[in-house]
Amino acid sequence: MIDATNISKVFNGRKDRKETLAISNLTMSVKRNEFVSIVGPSGCGKSTFLLMLAGLEKPTSGNLTIEGAPILGPGVQRSIVFQEYLLFPWRTVQGNIEFGPRLRKVSKDDCLADTRDFIELMGLTGFEHCYPHELSGGMQQRVAIARALANKPEVLLMDEPFGALDALTRESMQMELQKIWLQTQCTVLFVTHSISEAIFLSDRVVVMSKRPAIVKEELKIALDRPRQRDMHMTRQFREYEAYLKNIVWEEVN
Amino acid sequence: MNQIKFRKFLSPILILLIWQTIAINGIVPTWFLPVPTEVMKTLFGMIMSGEVPHHTLISLGRAFSGYLLAAVVGILLGLLIAWSTIIEDFFDPLIELIRPLSTFALIPIFFLWFGIGNTSKILIIFKSCFFPIIINTIAGIKGVDAKLIMAAQSLGANGFQLWTRVLLPSAMPMIITGLRISTAIAMMALVGVEMLSSDSGLGFLVIDAQRTFDTERVFAGIGVLSIIGFSLDKLARYIQSKALSWHSETSLGGGM
Ligand SMILES: Nc1ncnc2c1ncn2[C@@H]1O[C@H](COP(=O)(O)OP(=O)(O)OP(=O)(O)O)[C@@H](O)[C@H]1O
Ligand SMILES: [Mg+2]
Repeated sequence: MIDATNISKVFNGRKDRKETLAISNLTMSVKRNEFVSIVGPSGCGKSTFLLMLAGLEKPTSGNLTIEGAPILGPGVQRSIVFQEYLLFPWRTVQGNIEFGPRLRKVSKDDCLADTRDFIELMGLTGFEHCYPHELSGGMQQRVAIARALANKPEVLLMDEPFGALDALTRESMQMELQKIWLQTQCTVLFVTHSISEAIFLSDRVVVMSKRPAIVKEELKIALDRPRQRDMHMTRQFREYEAYLKNIVWEEVN
Repeated sequence: MNQIKFRKFLSPILILLIWQTIAINGIVPTWFLPVPTEVMKTLFGMIMSGEVPHHTLISLGRAFSGYLLAAVVGILLGLLIAWSTIIEDFFDPLIELIRPLSTFALIPIFFLWFGIGNTSKILIIFKSCFFPIIINTIAGIKGVDAKLIMAAQSLGANGFQLWTRVLLPSAMPMIITGLRISTAIAMMALVGVEMLSSDSGLGFLVIDAQRTFDTERVFAGIGVLSIIGFSLDKLARYIQSKALSWHSETSLGGGM
């Protein structure tokens, strides 16, 4: 469904005009309905890659296509959950979540009905009328996820969405995400720093090298669906984890 | 709560008491420092005779006209400048040259061109309010987080929707701050220009009383101006806190 061929991205520094090669010759593809995680050292270009898939950054060279058509700009069938939440502070939780549908002139009542599921799913019931500054970081992140889901995307791009959550909430959010993914049949690209999270959620884990990023390794995860919490303990899971940790470790050092 | 309210009244009451004591005991002559209670009597008389309402209405009319003009032109032009660099490059030198100029330096020219009537008074108030409003509008729009715009774009917002749903609301705290600052500036410019040349308005009332050494009337006039300024500021802050209830900083200070 998504094909990235020989993607590279050069950033021009603002002051010194120094060029940063963030990504060089990255090639990877994602199949429809696949759940793919990307792990890699900090600053290697993971967020940049997701922004390009969202159509918010342009690759300096290379081809980026979705179902054969080049990605030329943002599109509502691709939703992104940003690392920095980026909620609209002047809108309530409800207002943030229905931002996308309201742009397309969906009536207020329909929005209310449509978004109720996502609000419930994300554990935000009772907070619909709060403003973002009244919420904790973890709750803001959940609003950001609900906002992305409200557009009913075919592709969900998630940039460290659970980074700000405590371990327990994180686990339950992973279960919820798996449920959403199984229900909605969307394609997910998931960036995380947690190798076990990547294994637990994904069909495939992609390891990026340090900057300039290329694909260092790809690993198919052959665990049964739906994944259960106790799978973390299985031998197979441990083996995946040890293997990936080794590769990432090599990159970091 | 009540205690805090009381503490805030302490210093004005104390000053009035000391002032009253000094003035009533004839330590200084009353044409130099009138007795507060006498000032209040004079003020009461001026209100009842219709003198104060008359001049207040004239003054507020001038201040409001100049302010409104500055708000409309300042916000619209500010939005245009933030929107297009061509428009910005055209207006920027003008703004940079005129902005630092004291409003009062322009008074002689305005009098020359527009006469000493209401037009030049309104234009002088316009000049002094215009720059805080336009500068805040431009800074507000340009200061919008580029990533926030990206978030809206990825949710499907097009060019026009970006302005109405992201840029404007996001810049609103700055725009409203510019509007609020300008209410105080409008009053300052108003009094200045009314003192320089006018036969009506509160500024005229004060300067006219001073010319005849009627210090009680001077103080009464100043009192009215102070109450108007205070009320306008409270009103502006109230509107600000209502309009920006989502804003963490303003909502903290919003509780009047
Ligand atoms: N807009 C930009 N202008 C200039 N340089 C940029 C810009 N965005 C990213 N970079 C640079 O590109 C590189 C990759 O950044 P990116 O944010 O994609 O990394 P990341 O893999 O997401 O890191 P992290 O895991 O810490 O989030 C970094 O060196 C960063 O400094
Ligand atoms: Mg990142």
